[in-house]
Amino acid sequence: MKHHLLPVSPKTVHWGYFSKVVTPALTLKSGDRATIETLTHHANDDYERMIEGDPGAESVFKWTREHKAIVRRGSGPTEGPFIRGSGEGVGVHLLTGPVAIEGAEPGDVLEVRILDVRPRPACKACHAGKCFGSNVAANWGFHYHDLIEEPKPREVVTIFELDTSGEPFARAVYNYVWTPQIDPDGILHPTIDYPGVRVDHATIRKRENILPNVRVPARLHFGTMGLAPSEEDFVSSIPPSYTGGNIDDWRVGKGAKMFYPVAVPGAFFSVGDPHAAQGDSELGGTAIETSLTGDFEFILHKHRDLGGTALEGLTHPMLETADAWSVYGFTFPNYLAELGAKAQLDVANHSSLDRAMRDAFRKLRRFLMTVHKMSEDEAISLMSVGADFGVTQVVDANWGVHGTIRKNVFRCD
Amino acid sequence: MSLRPFTSESYSEDDRPEAWRDVLSSIGLQPTAATTTHHGHATAVRRTFEGIALAKLSAGAQAISPLSDLASDHPLVLLPLEDGVALKTTAGHQIVAVGHLLLLPRKGDWSVAFQRDMRAVVLSVTSDPLHSRRASAPAIPDVQIIGPGGFGDVFARMMEQAARNLETLSDAEWLAIAQSLADLLPTFTRQLAEPTADLNSGTATKAATLHRLCQTIERRLDDADLTPAKVAQAEGISERYLQKLFEGTGSSFTHYLRERRLQRTWADLSNPSEANHSISEIAFSAGFNDSAHFSRTFRHRFGLSPREFRQNEAERLTASATAAGQRGWPQEALAQLRSQHAPSTTGKIAQPEPAETITHGIADASKNLRHHHLAADASRVHWGYFSRSLPPQIEINSGDTITIETLTQHASDDPERMIKGDIGAESVFCWTRDQKNVDRRGAGPMDASIYGRGAGEGFGVHICTGPVAIRDAQPGDVLEIRILDIVPRASRNPDFDGQVFGSSVAAWWGYHYKEFLAEQNTREAVTIYEILDHDDVPYARALYSYRWEPQTDPFGTVHNTYDYPGIPITPASVRRRHDVLDGIRIPLRPHFGVIAVAPREADLVDSVPPAYFGGNLDNWRLGKGSTVYLPVSVPGALLSVGDPHAAQGDGELGGTAIECSMTGTFQVVLHKKGNLAGQAFADLTYPLIETESDWVLMGFSHPNYLAEFGAKGQSEVYATSSLDLAMKDAFRKMRRFLMNIKGLTEDEAIALMSVAVDFGVTQVVDGNWGVHAILSKRVFDHTSKS
Repeated sequence: MKHHLLPVSPKTVHWGYFSKVVTPALTLKSGDRATIETLTHHANDDYERMIEGDPGAESVFKWTREHKAIVRRGSGPTEGPFIRGSGEGVGVHLLTGPVAIEGAEPGDVLEVRILDVRPRPACKACHAGKCFGSNVAANWGFHYHDLIEEPKPREVVTIFELDTSGEPFARAVYNYVWTPQIDPDGILHPTIDYPGVRVDHATIRKRENILPNVRVPARLHFGTMGLAPSEEDFVSSIPPSYTGGNIDDWRVGKGAKMFYPVAVPGAFFSVGDPHAAQGDSELGGTAIETSLTGDFEFILHKHRDLGGTALEGLTHPMLETADAWSVYGFTFPNYLAELGAKAQLDVANHSSLDRAMRDAFRKLRRFLMTVHKMSEDEAISLMSVGADFGVTQVVDANWGVHGTIRKNVFRCD
Repeated sequence: MSLRPFTSESYSEDDRPEAWRDVLSSIGLQPTAATTTHHGHATAVRRTFEGIALAKLSAGAQAISPLSDLASDHPLVLLPLEDGVALKTTAGHQIVAVGHLLLLPRKGDWSVAFQRDMRAVVLSVTSDPLHSRRASAPAIPDVQIIGPGGFGDVFARMMEQAARNLETLSDAEWLAIAQSLADLLPTFTRQLAEPTADLNSGTATKAATLHRLCQTIERRLDDADLTPAKVAQAEGISERYLQKLFEGTGSSFTHYLRERRLQRTWADLSNPSEANHSISEIAFSAGFNDSAHFSRTFRHRFGLSPREFRQNEAERLTASATAAGQRGWPQEALAQLRSQHAPSTTGKIAQPEPAETITHGIADASKNLRHHHLAADASRVHWGYFSRSLPPQIEINSGDTITIETLTQHASDDPERMIKGDIGAESVFCWTRDQKNVDRRGAGPMDASIYGRGAGEGFGVHICTGPVAIRDAQPGDVLEIRILDIVPRASRNPDFDGQVFGSSVAAWWGYHYKEFLAEQNTREAVTIYEILDHDDVPYARALYSYRWEPQTDPFGTVHNTYDYPGIPITPASVRRRHDVLDGIRIPLRPHFGVIAVAPREADLVDSVPPAYFGGNLDNWRLGKGSTVYLPVSVPGALLSVGDPHAAQGDGELGGTAIECSMTGTFQVVLHKKGNLAGQAFADLTYPLIETESDWVLMGFSHPNYLAEFGAKGQSEVYATSSLDLAMKDAFRKMRRFLMNIKGLTEDEAIALMSVAVDFGVTQVVDGNWGVHAILSKRVFDHTSKS
């Protein structure tokens, strides 16, 4: 067993997409561990608190008229002229990786154990040692067309500070309404439509004393973790799908094990979209987006060894925690295959919890029947009386419902 | 192109009039001066495109007038749905029947009053989008009423259908429809602006005469010997002129008459309420006096013999209800019901003996609080419905405690274990050839004239104990129901003495029912569980299961599916499988699926869909130690409890929980309307659950389906449920709670919801699907650090 380090740098991150063609940032063997740094793509909502003085973050976010450290952001076009910028923001998450797993082949399952998760402290002197995150009630939020106060619509950024002195929690520092921002290439962003645009704090009006007396219990986790899909070379990081990705389940934190079906040789694991806290549904469009560092262990389960294990027949991401198993249902279980050429944009036009619920039901039924050898009638009875369905997210185009079954159900007599 | 949904559920009651005024003003309307602004439940869907706005409004009784500061030559178009309106102009009052279009000038002294409920579609086109078009129309000076028929019909249908589908139309589709409506509108108003020309030409007179002729024909369809001469005579015109009039329509009298006769039979044959008439009777009543001839003509016209057609229709009706997984009233039945008088409840609701519940003063004598006991017994329960008309079993004071025995309606799935020897259960379930102690089961007709399942038609299934009246409770108050204890009801059969059993049915209304994997056939499976409550970790384990087989109830009705509650299952009629869910232990979550106060809208309300009044909440968090707050809708509140569950998962996927009779002890506290300020349950129009650690807000597809859909509510709610809608409702409720109760701004509320509120699926099987929002008290529960 070897322990690897994967710090963030322009060479070790890719922005806004999963890809089977990007050169791996790290290659390791099954059983190896790695410490992987991740950055939130919302760090530029408050440059001073989340980037300034942090060499890793500065190197990744560097963007002047002369030099843009990470040019491509998203799976969209990389040839101009651009509406929003290279990659067109079709996918927004800063992902560290890919990590290639030696010997991984399509049909295998990759198990990723999260051994530890730590926040990344600010470096700028006046904030040194403190940890900050940003929550955005954004144009892709569930609430956006259903606002009751003026002005309508609006996007609001709330900066949170994470307190880890005791039971960790976050509290709001200030918020502001998004104002049109001009990026270093001269493109105007009237809404939050392209990641990593530094918000000029001279253009915004900060409102302090917000959410007074509110403590948000911390739930450190990675919103986006997954493998490269086989269907296309560049796949938007926004809609989650059969190889994982932007699942946005806060249970994917310390102690969790995620299982992903391998779709391409080497698996190509990437991780990012770190969150300090999120509610089931991620209603406003984002969590408390906070740069985090994780310790991971990778175990490759070869296809031939899956029979008779909990991974038999697994064609979708699955979570194991200390207490429960969860399967992830989506509006489209594999939107790339189902929607064809324009899938990455089209998926957002069909978002529905109803379809995600149906998918979660089917996946959990399959799990109970394949892995626990139940009849269909048994599986349905058990799901009705012992399985819990919850809303994972309603903001990632391919909406999610998770189905959870507690492990103590299976305790033998 | 924006779609703008509105529901009053987003707002506190104080803010509702203003919010509703905003909705009206966006389509050029305002509440009529001197009438109170509507402040009750209201929903609206609006979609706009460059000055074209189409809105579907649904709210309570009110009157509206034009908002005169909106400049446009084009009149507002208003289409009343479901019920007529009272139009008031300078010329006086006028009743406009449903199905008529009103063209209302933007400026003018008029008001439209909705006497009962406001249900209407409104089209507002401001001048801008039409400037580029050549065909500009003169403004109409007065209100115009367009009756059914012709162009008006086309226009009205298009408006109505577009409005019904506003939320599902794609942008491109909506754009096309909006433009078409705007294109058609000037044509419409131009015709109206030149009515005199038409009159002079005599066309209008001809049309009116033809219309009267058609009505005469309609009235006399049963006359097999109806001739042109007879009709002409009745109208005082010559037969020749009559023939000419029909030729003018491109038809002939003979052809028209035959077509009307055929259409009449077609309608009657597909109408379930005509099922007691034979085909020849129906033919005869439409003027066909020769069955064979009728049969031939019918087949020639519709491609099927009358018999085949009728059979198909009957199957379609049944299938549309069951195969679609839809419980409750079928649309067709409700339509009929509505055309008749409102259903009377007199004599249909079991009248209990004078309440003689055991009441004894205990506990805090100084406050004079009392403890009461309500046993389960045929005279103490109502089965499958809630009703504001039920006489209370007992009246208690605020602060009193009461022990309420409840029975699961699934006890009959294994009568040996769950009914036998239990006097209360035997009394409730007693059903022999000669006697059925609780006859009404559901809110349907007592004569079972819709499906023939049994009294009440099983439109609602839960055995509810109560109602309990709370002294001084009035609409607007809030009732707090604290669940102090829940104890399972052990078997009283000596063979199973002291053991506790429950049943779970994967039923036809389950979420899974439309897509079975194994085998082709749909099926229902009943699993009987034993509840082991004595362990450290109490759990349930499966004993055996069986597939539902067609059951003949004691009155001789055959039930092919689980379509009526309380049918006693005899062991011989099913095949038990014993090795089910081996080694599986289901952790218990004892709770009551149904806790309800009586709804105000209707007399008999199906117990299955939950809504603002509580009811079939099916949230397992409603267990011991938790509290539910319900808005009181009728004097006395009329609290009922039932549907006890030993365990349920979020979703209740297969249709039921582990249904297990249990006895609950409750403390009931009444909060008067005037004393709600500053409380978490101020501004309550929905069920709110409080547990030790959380606030749980219940969102539904249709938060008040009875008010939203009116007479059609008890059917429509089953047809249009969706998690997406329930999620929206849960979001709006939580936003309202955070803003009005916790004093946050909208931006703060949305940020907090995104990072700290958990939304989960409550159930997808109760008609009105549910999503709940959980707010941890921990978020607020501490002193400020700064």
